[in-house]
Amino acid sequence: MTSYPYIAQVLIKKYDIDPEAIRPEATLTDLGLDSLSIAELMFDVEDNYDLDIPDSRMEFTTLGEAAALVDEYIKLKGG
Amino acid sequence: MAAARRRVFATGMGLVSPHGGDPAEMFERVYAGESVIRKIRSGTPEFGSDVLAATAELDPTGIVPKAQLFVMDRVAQFAVVAAHRALTSARLLADNRGPAGAGVYLGCGLGGSHAIQDAYRVYYERHTRKLKPTVVPLIMANAAAAHISMRYAMRGPSLTYAIACASSAMAIGEAFRAIRDGYLECALAGGAEAMLNDGSVAAWEGLGVLAKEHADGPAASSRPFARDRSGFVLGEGAALLVLESEEATRQRRGEPLAEIVGFGAASDAYNLTQPVADGQVRAMRAALSDAGLATEAIGYINAHATATQAGDKAEIDAIKTAFGEHAWRLAVSATKSMHGHLVGAAGAIEFIITLLALRNRRLPPTANLTAPDPECDLDCVPCKGRPAPKLEYALSNSFAFGGSNAVLIGRRL
Repeated sequence: MTSYPYIAQVLIKKYDIDPEAIRPEATLTDLGLDSLSIAELMFDVEDNYDLDIPDSRMEFTTLGEAAALVDEYIKLKGG
Repeated sequence: MAAARRRVFATGMGLVSPHGGDPAEMFERVYAGESVIRKIRSGTPEFGSDVLAATAELDPTGIVPKAQLFVMDRVAQFAVVAAHRALTSARLLADNRGPAGAGVYLGCGLGGSHAIQDAYRVYYERHTRKLKPTVVPLIMANAAAAHISMRYAMRGPSLTYAIACASSAMAIGEAFRAIRDGYLECALAGGAEAMLNDGSVAAWEGLGVLAKEHADGPAASSRPFARDRSGFVLGEGAALLVLESEEATRQRRGEPLAEIVGFGAASDAYNLTQPVADGQVRAMRAALSDAGLATEAIGYINAHATATQAGDKAEIDAIKTAFGEHAWRLAVSATKSMHGHLVGAAGAIEFIITLLALRNRRLPPTANLTAPDPECDLDCVPCKGRPAPKLEYALSNSFAFGGSNAVLIGRRL
């Protein structure tokens, strides 16, 4: 997963999440992020990779699913 | 039949100010005539301006959770830190909670102005419509009040007053009335402002009201009532009072610092930026009448006096009209000469200074008043603070662009 380490880093630095709690199967809600925090997180990730993920695709619950979605668009962009 | 009026006490004070975060220390520095105005670079080295300003130091560590910072503009962080200090000083902070039913009455001129500048910069420079999802919650004017209410679980009304330079005086006045008239037992009331970013500074420069640097240096540049006054110096910060009903204060054995006894508000209904004495006179008279006081009771006025040519003269005229013969016996000083103009927090920091003047029975000076304007010929406490052993009541003026005037009166306990 290309984007997973970056997402983990934002969670630690910006949202002060305990690094121990960050696992691919952890849900963003379990990590304590509300809807605004999740939207901001995805904004930062899209900005970092220069992506434009449509709102209709923003459906994920776990960190692993979020990273997989981002990776899919990184790949699309690269191809 | 009118409902019984309850007494309202100030039982806590909190600051993030150009003179630091401790009210007692801030008062001593202001009493000593220390101006903290300096010259800073606004914008970038290539595109910007050297401006006079009174900046405040912000350290939210341990008060604002790190994970909240991304959704809080500088102004909201100022407000929460000042709220924390005010609640702590009132001994009302328990387990990160304030009084459950307390209200938040906050003045703010511009809202999250750093966030709005950052967002517009992205929009125009990167030519993109893709802006952060947090922009709106960062810039909305009531964000600072909302953060205080959320942070300290205070579930009374959370209100924001945007009345330019009179914002926080109006907020304190409205909270005072809500408590006095029985709607509320406790409120955090005051103001916050943080707009020393280059976009806002450029806008103020455009208005032509900012002071020019004085020959004696930046610290000497805010010169209310002086013949050579040239305008005001922007400041930033937050100032909050804990206001409580007499009953609530006694019940919890809180310590009243001073009593709030009067509030008056009136509008010029005249001009957006040009002040006139008439609205100011009516606001002072309304406050005196609200307090049930004769003019002779007032010993000290903390003037609005921003050091513009027109404004200071209008205020002196207004004091003469409102107080008659007594205008020549009371003392008037302008502490903006030292802490600058905090706009949405100006009325609150100045009312805190007024209450501390009552408490200490010492009058802060008007700094830099070496050559008074002959038209500002009242006792303006030039350059040097002095004791006022008989001081019982003091008044603080706040007059806004838009012609909104707010006047607060405090009583020594």
